Amino acid sequence: MTDNNTNPYKPMPMRISRAYYESNDHSLKTFELDFLGASDCDYFFAHYNPGQFCQLSIFNKGEAPFGVASAAWEGKFVRFTVQKMGTFTQAIHRLKVDDQIGMRGPLGNGFPLDMWRGKNLVIVGGGCAFSTLYALTKHIQHPDFRNDYNELIVIYGARNSGLCMYKQDIQSWYDRDDMQLHQAIDVPENEWLHHVGYVPDVVREVAPSPDNAVAIVCGPPIMTKFTLPALTDLGFAPEAIFTSLEKRMKCGIGKCGRCNIGPAYICKDGPVFSLAELQSLPADI
Amino acid sequence: MYYQIEKNEITNLLDHWMKLAGVFAPTEKGQFTVFENLMHGDELRINGPHNTRYPPKSLFLPQSERLFTLKNGNLVEPKINNEPRIVFGIRPCDAHALTLLDTVFLTDQYKDPYWQAERERTILVGLGCDEPCASCFCTTVGSGPFETRGLDILFIPLNEKYIIKQVTEKGGSLLTDLRKVPDTIETEIQKLEQKAINSLPIAFETIDIREKLYKLFSDAYWLKVSQSCLGCGVCTFLCPTCYCFDIVDEAQRGERVRNWDTCMFRIYSQEASGHNPRPSRFERTRQRLMHKYAYWLDSINEIGCTGCGRCVRYCPVGLDIRDMIRKAQNWEVVE
Amino acid sequence: MSDLELHLRSEVARILQDGSVDLVVGFEAESIPLKPQPTFIEDSKDADRLIINGFCQNNLATFLTRLPKEKRIGIVVRGCESRSINALIVENQHARDKLYLIGVPCHGIIDWRKVEALAGENIISAEENENIVNVHTIRSQFSIDRGDLLHDSCARCLHPNPVSPDIMLGELLPEGDPVLARSVVDEFQLLSSEKRYAFFTQEAERCIRCYACREACPMCYCTECFVDHANPRWTESTISPAGTQAWHIVRAFHQAGRCVSCGACERACPMDIKMTYLTDKLNDDLRRLYGFQVGMDTSTQPPFAAFSLDDKKRFIS
Repeated sequence: MTDNNTNPYKPMPMRISRAYYESNDHSLKTFELDFLGASDCDYFFAHYNPGQFCQLSIFNKGEAPFGVASAAWEGKFVRFTVQKMGTFTQAIHRLKVDDQIGMRGPLGNGFPLDMWRGKNLVIVGGGCAFSTLYALTKHIQHPDFRNDYNELIVIYGARNSGLCMYKQDIQSWYDRDDMQLHQAIDVPENEWLHHVGYVPDVVREVAPSPDNAVAIVCGPPIMTKFTLPALTDLGFAPEAIFTSLEKRMKCGIGKCGRCNIGPAYICKDGPVFSLAELQSLPADI
Repeated sequence: MYYQIEKNEITNLLDHWMKLAGVFAPTEKGQFTVFENLMHGDELRINGPHNTRYPPKSLFLPQSERLFTLKNGNLVEPKINNEPRIVFGIRPCDAHALTLLDTVFLTDQYKDPYWQAERERTILVGLGCDEPCASCFCTTVGSGPFETRGLDILFIPLNEKYIIKQVTEKGGSLLTDLRKVPDTIETEIQKLEQKAINSLPIAFETIDIREKLYKLFSDAYWLKVSQSCLGCGVCTFLCPTCYCFDIVDEAQRGERVRNWDTCMFRIYSQEASGHNPRPSRFERTRQRLMHKYAYWLDSINEIGCTGCGRCVRYCPVGLDIRDMIRKAQNWEVVE
Repeated sequence: MSDLELHLRSEVARILQDGSVDLVVGFEAESIPLKPQPTFIEDSKDADRLIINGFCQNNLATFLTRLPKEKRIGIVVRGCESRSINALIVENQHARDKLYLIGVPCHGIIDWRKVEALAGENIISAEENENIVNVHTIRSQFSIDRGDLLHDSCARCLHPNPVSPDIMLGELLPEGDPVLARSVVDEFQLLSSEKRYAFFTQEAERCIRCYACREACPMCYCTECFVDHANPRWTESTISPAGTQAWHIVRAFHQAGRCVSCGACERACPMDIKMTYLTDKLNDDLRRLYGFQVGMDTSTQPPFAAFSLDDKKRFIS
């Protein structure tokens, strides 16, 4: 967005400062973007909250939404992890350090951090949808914010160990005494020391307590579908379970009409919704 | 404040206004009329078809609108058009629809600069409907043949004259040279308005329509009303309250453009993963009807339809939204 | 209610009752004047909804590719519908033995635009009475010669009679005049290329890319139409002369040898665009070059789907 927000359709010019593959099969690539405009940078960090997304724009390839995978304290850059799926993501994957890309954001509502003060947080993520949960965890881990919240449990599953994102950093989380980490992969591998199984089963195994807790679930639809009942069975109320939704998006600012679920737009009223809010919306997803 | 002119003076009035601003009004195109920039007042055609087929929303949200041009690797906005413009002969249903669209394009958080520029430079001069059509149903959805919402000026046909009602201050600027009429004319206008309203049967019951449609969300009712739907875009493109658009990069012209889109096409909600939340016409018809008669009510407590009747007149298979809503109200929900 | 409609209703009730079909596609009464609606009947008691008259303007065959192939479908067919169905069968879109074709005679479809041009737009009702159409508007009544109201494609229809229906309700009508049909194509050809191009540009300019023509056409059943293809992008979706003209030309070419000249495309168009002049010309070319006429049987392959050693090779040698 331009600094005085005159044209919400106009992308900010960004420069790629880092680009590296997360997975051996090269399906996941992480980019860190620097701002080319100082006022754009100020605007972004004045409004950014974990859980929000940005529309990345490459002229002639289009635009698509990506969850922000960095916390503000990490630096004046924005991190995204992109899975190669179609024309646009293929084009992004071809970009290298120093290439330019457009960005519109931050968009969406983000996680309701104020509502979660003093609570135990159970963060459950699967696959490449973990990126905004990574941003959330990084944010909470900072000494300035850690005491706003109580216990922190992170459950992160990937199909195999190669597809796990942010490996080095996440490995260091096992040494922290301010959180519990439970990683999982679908099938056993040599030298894998952590859980083996689908995320919903790992959730049941870890059995986090619902007392004074909120759960945040982000993952592929099939994982979410089975994780939500697992949390409900453990005693989490619909108001205490949160998820982040996806749908085909274009404008990202609630004007083109496309990403609606009933009267709510995922880009504007979401992408973060509580289960209670979702239950009051029609099943249009 | 009321003014009047003779009906046969309208050409001169438009020619006079053309010296102040561009005048867009219905003009002939084959068997129908369309809003175009008039070169001369006698190009006006308001005595034939009751309304244009193509909606005047296109004057504010063009079907294809250039958002940016690519210059030296950067996306550059087009220059804002500030030239004053008068839209004459817009029917109250279409003007009312523009105020509904304002709530989408001009929110507190994001103002669409393209829409805003077109709205700000335009004075809307409406033409009241003294003889509504058989396909009109504005009164059913909370609008009316002499509705002034969205208008700066309203022309009311009365015998051989137009009685001209100033609605806003902005409109007043165009009326300074006209003959005033005492406010007592209101009695005659009210009679005319009531006659027009009486000629419009209530097409369906709107009480609790939102609740009823939500109850019907998974019901076979949608199968019934969507079976003959072809899945074309006629209803949504001709609709004055539909606003969905697609953003596309036209590489060969170096432009980022937005084009009208429609929830009636399958690819509208098609996701890159292959999943489509609205895979058949059941879900897509449900989306269209519920958007207009439930979700708009959820958002701003107004029905998202102003009863212009274009979808009814021009649907290739004769589907009638009034009939569909009536059916919904009368449908017995299977628990 | 006409004799034909009575007969149609009892035939449909019969085949639904005895279970020989799962579903019947026909027309039911209009909600707005002049526009009877396609309808789908599954219960024999609902057969009374069926009507058939000159205002029924859609080609019902377009619904066949939207229904599950396993269903046994009864369908009311006039000449054009039966020919479209034959074309669909040749393209393996349906099996003949899963269809029950109820043939009805067709005196041509009345073009609602021509009715409105003569009677104005505030029409309350209209009915056919032999060769006259009586139209009631809010102010007055009109009695118009049916011949003046026929849709252009119907006025030069070659084959109004259903081709090999399973049952024929009503008398067969005389075949159309091929000389008349060709003369329309030939007259257009005689215009200078500037005039022809001006006509094409003028018609295409009104297009709003609603694709009503495509959806109304029985032969446009591709899951992904070329205009929706993103990579490569064949034509732009933006309203511009280039994009819109490409849409009209390519669709016409995709119809060559498949279009049965029913005119449903023109009748569906909300902007009154003429387009059959393109497909009629292409069909005429195929007649001259390959002796091919679409829809007359369920086996002859269209020229673009087959070749023979006798084919003209002017463009090669």
